[in-house]
Amino acid sequence: MANKFDIQIRAEHEYAVLETAGYLNDSLGERLSKEAQELIEKGYTQLVINLDKTALINSIGISILIEIIEALDERNGTLNFCGLSATQERTFRMMAIAKYAGIFPDEKAAIADF
Amino acid sequence: MISLGENKEQSDMHLSSAEETIQRLIFSLSELEQLGQTLISGHSNFNVSSKTYLRITLGTLQVRGGAILCYHSTDNCLTIAASTPESEATQIEIEPDEAASLLGCPIIELNTPPDNLHNFIERNSDLLSNKSMHRLWVPLKIHDEFLGILSLGKFLGRAKLEAWEQELLTILAHQISIAIAYSRNEERIQSEKFRLFMLAESAPQICQLLQPDDAAEQVVFQAVALLDANMGALMLFEPQHKNLELSYVFPPELLSSEDDEQEADNQLTIPIDDMDDNVTDPHPKTSEEMLIYVIKNGRTDQCPAKMDTLFGGRSLMAGPIQGRDGDILGLLVVGDKEERGGRIAEFTFEDETLLDSFAKQAGVAIENARLHQEALDARLLQAEMEEARKIQENLIPDTLPDIPGYEVAGHYEPRGPVGGDYFDCIELKTGGWGLAIADVSGKGMQAALLMATLRAGLLSELTSARGREETELVDMKNELIDMAMTLNSLLYVSGTEEKYVTFFYSHLNPDTDILTTLNCGHNPPLIVRSDGNIVWLGEEIGGLPIGMFPNDMVPLIAKFEAEQIKLESGDLIIFYTDGVTETVNIDDEFYDEERLEQLGKTCSDIDASQICNLIYQSVMDFQGDADQFDDLTLLVLRKK
Repeated sequence: MANKFDIQIRAEHEYAVLETAGYLNDSLGERLSKEAQELIEKGYTQLVINLDKTALINSIGISILIEIIEALDERNGTLNFCGLSATQERTFRMMAIAKYAGIFPDEKAAIADF
Repeated sequence: MISLGENKEQSDMHLSSAEETIQRLIFSLSELEQLGQTLISGHSNFNVSSKTYLRITLGTLQVRGGAILCYHSTDNCLTIAASTPESEATQIEIEPDEAASLLGCPIIELNTPPDNLHNFIERNSDLLSNKSMHRLWVPLKIHDEFLGILSLGKFLGRAKLEAWEQELLTILAHQISIAIAYSRNEERIQSEKFRLFMLAESAPQICQLLQPDDAAEQVVFQAVALLDANMGALMLFEPQHKNLELSYVFPPELLSSEDDEQEADNQLTIPIDDMDDNVTDPHPKTSEEMLIYVIKNGRTDQCPAKMDTLFGGRSLMAGPIQGRDGDILGLLVVGDKEERGGRIAEFTFEDETLLDSFAKQAGVAIENARLHQEALDARLLQAEMEEARKIQENLIPDTLPDIPGYEVAGHYEPRGPVGGDYFDCIELKTGGWGLAIADVSGKGMQAALLMATLRAGLLSELTSARGREETELVDMKNELIDMAMTLNSLLYVSGTEEKYVTFFYSHLNPDTDILTTLNCGHNPPLIVRSDGNIVWLGEEIGGLPIGMFPNDMVPLIAKFEAEQIKLESGDLIIFYTDGVTETVNIDDEFYDEERLEQLGKTCSDIDASQICNLIYQSVMDFQGDADQFDDLTLLVLRKK
């Protein structure tokens, strides 16, 4: 597992990709939430969160992801996830995150959905 | 209502004011409906919806600015969830008794606060000086649980709220309180749902990991995520050294020194003197005392951050990991339970139960990985033994040469793990013969390779210097001693301290029947003279085994020596390894030299090959059903 906590942002014309690395806990989650909020404030309503380099998520990380989904929903936006492990995908489905956000195998597929 | 006697202008003003009130009431009702919609919209997260609640509240009451402050009992503070104008997130410290005082006040004018809140307001005067945001406070609560504060700033066009506005404010505050409580409950339910799912999901995931290091890493990762911790460690008990040793720590750089950023050393060992000792419960415990308490008592325990000396001052919880038979394999440590906003909470009783449940799964995973590793090691060892056996068998000659005037026979019987016995009969260029028998200490590939090295060294020696014409009147005894030193040097650098070879070499001159012998720590061969006399060859001069000490130390301990005997017709020499004399029967008795001697005396009328078979059969009969672990090797020389 990548232990360096990091967020890479690639903002394109109509969408933006946020790629996390490391343990998605309160610390990384709050940074992700802040970055997502800033993108939403700038008018981005189509976001991709790439979790390929995040093998571990705790319950706070999950609640922050739900918060981002709700914030986007308020602007009629869309959030797509990609790079999830099989366990993460099962977790997202069980936690009903998959009901309000798309799950895709990779960034290309996640972006193509917009 | 308009009273009689008022003039038109006054009545118009009243009408306008009444209309305005009615319009604001209608607006308020619609905003209240929107508030209700927000609550049931599925947007339960108050961090997202708080701005909507504040906007509706300020609009409905026609207030210029305000804020919603949420209370966190974990670290006794209020944080700003939403504010108008936007405010930098700042924490306001509040003592529990001050929170209780706020709970008792329906509305608080910050200009004239109740006496028991004077200190609180004075202490936070810098933060509360912004009157456009903090003028009037309404506590947010559900029953007796204090949830936060709805703060209002300057009212538009009036100095204070009307009575009906105050009632509306109470309703709005109640709605916001419900939203906060609902959001927190939702978060709690989501968190519990997540933890239960993780617990169920993690078991099969970690139990299928077959590498002990992978299992250790995943056990720590899962525990950290499950308990919302930001640190975790697996420590395993090493019964041999009576130590608790760190197996894996997250984050990995936690225990590395500042000077060594590249490579985390992650060394942490705690001596456990006696697992059966009764441990009293020291209070308060340091982190080390807590870990010892957990491993000895087999019970989950905690240690506050200020008492942690091992993991960087973290609030710790540790639980024992048990194997299938109930033995304590080690313990699992998690540190600093996270809450939203960077707060660290204490681990609860539910957390202890959760860690206990997970530790049971971790125990199965760790044992599975250990068993798998042991099976792999056994398979590797088996393969190595097979290879060693092949090397060993290649060292043993298939047939022995004919020595004019002599009979020679040999037998090698592998028994148990590869031991590294060797015998040979080599024709020399001089017309002489070399007879060698050896036994290497230890087992396996290393032993087989050492024996192969001895054989190669011996053949090299015999075909070079030691092969010169005996007509040069070489002193054969000194030649053999020199050879021993050369072989000792070769094997000493090739082996380890525990690996050495007992070696007996004989040089036979068939023309003179002189046998020159060199004993390097080997069992003395038995000579049965034709007249029935018994001699144990080299018994008095048995030198050091080959490869045990460096050459410069050999003369100081027991130098190599050689001796010479003349063989007569009918003389029999039995060379053997300790697999013969140290064969045990079911009564744990050794075959020993005496039985060999008695048997040798009965062999006067049979040839070397028959003698070999006779001794072998005698040893096998003696052994019976007893297990043997050492190879059996015989080399028999008889002068016709």
